[in-house]
Amino acid sequence: MTSAVPGDAQRPRDPEAPVFDGPPLSLEEELAAARAEPEPGPDIETVNESLADGLNRCPKCGGTDVRLRASTGMLVCLFCRHQWQESRVEEEFGLGEGIEELEGTVVASGADAVAADVDDVVTLTCGGCGADVVVDTAHSLNARCHWCRHTLNINQQTPNGAVPDAVLPFKLTHAEAVERIREFASKRRLFAHPRFKREFVPENVLGVYLPYLVVDARAEAAYVGRGEIQTRRWTEKQGDSSVTYYAADVYRVDRSVAFTVDDLTIEGAADRAVLDSSTTNNIVNTILPFDTKNAVKWNSSYLVGFTSEKRDLDVGDLQPVLEDQLLSIGRSQVRESLSDFDRGVRWEQERLDLGGSRWVSMYLPVWLYSYYQENTKMLHYIAVNARTGETMGSVPVSQWRLVAAALTVGTVLEGIAGAVLMGMA
Amino acid sequence: MSAGIVLVTSDDAVMWLLAAGPAGAVATYWALYRYYRNTDKSHAFERDTLIQARPVEGAQEKVDHISRTRDSDIDGDNSSDHRSRVERLR
Repeated sequence: MTSAVPGDAQRPRDPEAPVFDGPPLSLEEELAAARAEPEPGPDIETVNESLADGLNRCPKCGGTDVRLRASTGMLVCLFCRHQWQESRVEEEFGLGEGIEELEGTVVASGADAVAADVDDVVTLTCGGCGADVVVDTAHSLNARCHWCRHTLNINQQTPNGAVPDAVLPFKLTHAEAVERIREFASKRRLFAHPRFKREFVPENVLGVYLPYLVVDARAEAAYVGRGEIQTRRWTEKQGDSSVTYYAADVYRVDRSVAFTVDDLTIEGAADRAVLDSSTTNNIVNTILPFDTKNAVKWNSSYLVGFTSEKRDLDVGDLQPVLEDQLLSIGRSQVRESLSDFDRGVRWEQERLDLGGSRWVSMYLPVWLYSYYQENTKMLHYIAVNARTGETMGSVPVSQWRLVAAALTVGTVLEGIAGAVLMGMA
Repeated sequence: MSAGIVLVTSDDAVMWLLAAGPAGAVATYWALYRYYRNTDKSHAFERDTLIQARPVEGAQEKVDHISRTRDSDIDGDNSSDHRSRVERLR
């Protein structure tokens, strides 16, 4: 039996088809269903009520040509130059508070489960002229009406994961990003692939809002292992050489630590979440963290001129990633308490009690220069954190030059070794 | 006997010296490769996240004694490798 999916209600039903809504329920089940509490709404409602899908006008002049001015971090009306900004979600939704008291999994409305069957393409009716304008929400949340040139925005949270709870606006300008990418690549010229050098055009960098889930959590982690403390060290003569021996006490070591984390940031797109060596996703991961405390309430005008990637991972998908990261954080917290064990500690078992977590979805700004290396079929990135300016990248290498450099160094070293041996002889 | 050990020791030294070339070549390759490709980099969330921890609690109990070993440290030390997962207790 298949369960009903949310999108079924929207499809027109064939009137000839028999109505089937599952096998009949027993009396007890019917009574339990009647007494049941209504379905809970989202834990934190983050919809920006003042904005609508379609036209959103400048509060001063009514123009719709509104975009982010990166140098001030504010929205600017390109018609009357009026500037304003949305409020920070940190204070608006109390996201910085109460981490110590978190219980269970608290999910903001923009981080709700993604419905796979909801179409990414949304048709808006232009409030200026009535034309139908199509927006592909997988990559963009704005469109310009091709008839009257009004800018149309998607502001209501859709179940496809395209509209998050908050957005952190771009701060670095295109020119600043180009400069950082050029500087990064210029330090890596000598062994770079010649074709990469030939085709390197940093001006092609794109501003992208990438989807992340930002998590506050309260947890307790416990670890069990073996530790050794050296009790004696001595050397024994064996012919002309001497051998060092050690004696040590072996301990069973238990450690536990309770802690809270504020704004742990986890990738919300499946394509970006794979961090193995088959991709260069680790590059984009490395430019974290962002100053997520400065994220503001959703307003798709912040995205005008940039592309976006919609979230396709849910809180449930990312729970194991959160637990893994919390276990790592706990391990780093107990590290300092192990200084007595001068021969080291081997952790063998670990446990995590996740007291509570709070999940908020955000679009975070990244300047992304990408280069597809055809011979290895690898997509390389140079990424710039558009808030902090942290830059990281993967530059394709010329294997021949690398091998030649390695052989040169090896030959020189071998030559020195040979000279030493000749001297000894 | 002692001549044999001297011979082994001097053979070891020759082996180490001869290995310097290949080892240097491999080290150069990997150092340059990592500088260009940055395959080993990732977000250091253990350090770069706002964390408030209560004091660490714990105990240690002596369970054994090693009276003679040539190992200078414990086998499988993972106390600094925070991301290597071990058996998970539920």
